[in-house]
Amino acid sequence: MRLLSRASLRYLTQHRLQLVLSVLGVALGVAVVLSIDVAIQSAQAGFRISAETVSGRATHAVVSDIGLIDESLVARLRIEEDVAAAAPVVEGYGRSPLIPGRALRILGVDPFSEGPFRPYVAGGESGLDVSAIIASRVGVVLSAPVAEGAGLAPGDSLPMLVEGEAWSLPVVGLVDPSDDLTRSGLSDVVLMDIAGAQEVLRIPGLLSRIDLRIDEEEEAGGLLERIEAALPEGVTVDAVGTRSQTMSGMIAAFDVNLTALSLLALIFGMFLIYNAVTFSVVQRRGILGRLRALGVTRDEVVRMILAEAAWIGAAGAALGVGVGLVLARGLVGMVARTINDLYFSVSVQEVTVAPALVAKAALLGLGATLVAALPPALEAAGANPRLAALRSVVESRARRLVPLAAAAGAGLCAIGALILLAPTRSLLVSFTALFFIITGMAVITPGGTLVLMSMLRPLLRGLGGTLGVMAGRGVGSSLSRTAPAIAALVVAVSVTVGLGVMIQSFRGTLVQWLDGTLRADVYVSLPGPTASRASGTLWPDVIDAFVAHPEVSGSSTYRGFDLIRDGDAFRLVALDLDPRGESAFDFLSGDRDEIMTRFRTGEAVIVSEPYAYRRGLAVGDRVALTGVDGEVEIPIAGVFYDYGSEQGTVMMGRALYDRIFDDPGVTSLGLFLEEGADSEVVVEELLALVPEGRAVIARSNDTLRETSLEVFDRTFQVTAVLRLLAFIVAFVGVLSALAALQLEKARELGLLRAQGLTPGQLWRLVVTQTGLIGLASGLLAIPMGLVLSVVMIFVVNKRSFGWTLNMQVGPDILVQAVGLAVVGALLAGLYPAWRMSRASPALALRGE
Amino acid sequence: MNEKGPSIELIDVHKSYREGDRTHEVLTGTSATIEAGERVAILGPSGSGKSTLLNLVSGIDLPDSGTVRVGGTDIGTLAERDRTLFRRERVGFVFQFFNLMPTLTVLENLLLPLELTGSADGEARARELLDAVGLGDRAGAFPDRLSGGEQQRVAIARALIHGPDLLLADEPTGNLDEDTSEIVVRLLDELVREAGTTLIVVTHSRELASRMDRVLRVDHGKLVEAGEAMAGAGPRAGA
Repeated sequence: MRLLSRASLRYLTQHRLQLVLSVLGVALGVAVVLSIDVAIQSAQAGFRISAETVSGRATHAVVSDIGLIDESLVARLRIEEDVAAAAPVVEGYGRSPLIPGRALRILGVDPFSEGPFRPYVAGGESGLDVSAIIASRVGVVLSAPVAEGAGLAPGDSLPMLVEGEAWSLPVVGLVDPSDDLTRSGLSDVVLMDIAGAQEVLRIPGLLSRIDLRIDEEEEAGGLLERIEAALPEGVTVDAVGTRSQTMSGMIAAFDVNLTALSLLALIFGMFLIYNAVTFSVVQRRGILGRLRALGVTRDEVVRMILAEAAWIGAAGAALGVGVGLVLARGLVGMVARTINDLYFSVSVQEVTVAPALVAKAALLGLGATLVAALPPALEAAGANPRLAALRSVVESRARRLVPLAAAAGAGLCAIGALILLAPTRSLLVSFTALFFIITGMAVITPGGTLVLMSMLRPLLRGLGGTLGVMAGRGVGSSLSRTAPAIAALVVAVSVTVGLGVMIQSFRGTLVQWLDGTLRADVYVSLPGPTASRASGTLWPDVIDAFVAHPEVSGSSTYRGFDLIRDGDAFRLVALDLDPRGESAFDFLSGDRDEIMTRFRTGEAVIVSEPYAYRRGLAVGDRVALTGVDGEVEIPIAGVFYDYGSEQGTVMMGRALYDRIFDDPGVTSLGLFLEEGADSEVVVEELLALVPEGRAVIARSNDTLRETSLEVFDRTFQVTAVLRLLAFIVAFVGVLSALAALQLEKARELGLLRAQGLTPGQLWRLVVTQTGLIGLASGLLAIPMGLVLSVVMIFVVNKRSFGWTLNMQVGPDILVQAVGLAVVGALLAGLYPAWRMSRASPALALRGE
Repeated sequence: MNEKGPSIELIDVHKSYREGDRTHEVLTGTSATIEAGERVAILGPSGSGKSTLLNLVSGIDLPDSGTVRVGGTDIGTLAERDRTLFRRERVGFVFQFFNLMPTLTVLENLLLPLELTGSADGEARARELLDAVGLGDRAGAFPDRLSGGEQQRVAIARALIHGPDLLLADEPTGNLDEDTSEIVVRLLDELVREAGTTLIVVTHSRELASRMDRVLRVDHGKLVEAGEAMAGAGPRAGA
């Protein structure tokens, strides 16, 4: 089909604007998918490489549910169980003013045990001077990237804030591994002798884990079983990587949601392609009819249209990959920061571009283009060659199809709704349902457009006279061309509405929740590696001093940490509540006083909504924990609304906690002030009580609330970027669809010019018509966007994160949507109007 | 006459179209026979079903009932794809509005039917035909650069290039002035006569009709010899 291909390629190049905008539509879709994929993968790769580098050649690790292990266990394992390769490890985080914005990972090791584990510590290739580490109490060895970042060399000191204490740690050496992977894995590591690490992390005599290297022979000989039997309660031996996998799994929902949103961008890119190809088919109906009359078969027509789409898809995919990689560089920082804010500390040094991801995005773009082009291609081939050229036949058929399409659309929406009702938590199922609903609503839009146009007719007549009526009628009378355009625009604009309303509702819910939850006047915690949750342990003397402040009338203490138990990660919190703090909880069901009484007496725990939802638990079920005396099971008294952790939180009274665990620490403190006290002044006075060399963060209720919202806004930055991209794609869509529509009318407009329409009147006609299409799209996008947001808020979010959000719709989002559509549409009218008003009517009238 | 074209038989052919709520009967049981290699003109007022006849003979459309047989093949029994291939290989089309492919040059427009039928190396033949229609120097031009008459000459060349044994022309001079019509008619006549192709030409032009072997007329949904129709129609005979 050389000549047919040539004919279609020439068609594409003759309609350059259409071509460029179609390619751009695909490119943006591909770019969004690729950049999100790359950003997430880079963050995960950063985490994985770092975990692997730090684990070294260990095969197993002895770990504790609650995080810390007594160091005497190492000696017992070596002596009593004859474990040859066991290395104690202490890990924690700190920050240095020399490397702002990044948490540094403190890795405390025993250099003499390191031989079989971490070659970069054991010396040899790196030439690390082990004796220097041991000789200096809190000396640090920096990885070359950290040293470069901080501008330090051996002999200098690294200022660091660890667990609220300021340290000046002498740099005693550098590790500069030759292989890139280890170098990258050590990019945030500060290496110390184990005793020094225990000192700065304030965990004397305790370890984070014990690394083991057990060969197959030892394993077959039952060594693992012997070790397990020797471990105290709550301590287990895991294959290496189990923990990091569990932690990696924490971001699964975040990952799936971003990926799904990026796919949504591709889906509405598909609608734009569908529109572009449909338009090109409709525009060439006559030509296709001729070809069919000449003996071109249906298959050949389908192949020709699909080949055109493939060209567009390939060009769009190539451009999209380029744009996506650039975009990924920007997004990777945002994704990493969100993971840092919400989940765990991760350092992403570089953008990891796996060729598979590039191939996947490019193929998705190409595939989506072909899938979107298939219906118009089949339609083109199915058309009777006798009727194909008759515009009136096409239009009357299009109008006849409107009620049918509306019915089919309603059917698709119903299928989507039924799928949503299915008792599953699968996000794939939710997004499939969403796709049905979007498609269904898109198919209903032509009917909606006709209704809107007939409603607007009196207004148009009043404002624009005959020209106004013509403009309005033109929208309805060329439905075969306008309907796909409007449908595509409605989908694109509605996605921006849906995402906007979802973010707004999430934020609104969070504000309400913070208002209800933050009952104390001042909150005190240590500066920690993640912004959203407190960590570390406050000094008892500081707590005593704060509580004794004359303006403080009461206090609540909070002990919280992430607990990993049998592959399940959640947050465990112990509360000693001031009575005023008890009203902070809002329960899904049950009487608050009764629940809080059981909580206070230590009879039961309360759990957050995401905790209960994700594990399918309800009031009366039990939560299992391993304490110093073995496993305990505690009933759940209530399920409370919570938006602080998607993994879920288990809260218990302090008394119960103290009975189960041997941990007197307090992570943060809530202070209630005397009536009339100025919390900002009290904060200043409290901070003045903190001894030199220590740092605490004391924040008034308002400040904490603001900080929390800042974190929220940061975590939604990626979604906001996606929304912005959706906005741009929608804008490009409006522009391409409508400009093409008007350019195609050159002949009709030439006729009007020949009959005496002035260039000014032509401008008005064209711009009024595109403006009307924009208005119709914007207005129809609102209900569709709201439906999308309902699904995202009540189904997707619930299934992903387990929390209930209150839907909140601000007028700004709706106005923005209509504005986007109308402004885009008006702009789209400008070029055709300019071109047509300048063209000689004779030229425009000339046929082929 | 070099008789290589097929014979055409129409037996009790009915065809109607839906127009909104109404059904418009175009052909009401017409029968006719056209001999192999015969050149026939079909006259009739607008909307009488002339073009419908061409569509039925070419297999673009199917009759509601009755039989259309071309060269012994019952078109109605062929699958859609076979009808397309039949058209591709055996039929040449000339339309009133030329219907050239706007994105192909004149030469490429001629080569297209050859490419569709898989005949390689037809360029010499295409150039020869272009010379024959007097457009040898316009091979590289796009259709929109040609006048109406020139476009129709290209269309005739295109219709004949793959050596079809049946040529269907739908008002080929309907859009042309008298002088240009004359040129086009002469060309059509010469080329078809030379090739021995069966020709059915739908026209309003008496000049064109007079050059054909036989003239038929669509009258109230039936094909009749022009003389009969004119005799029966009385005052409309001169129409």
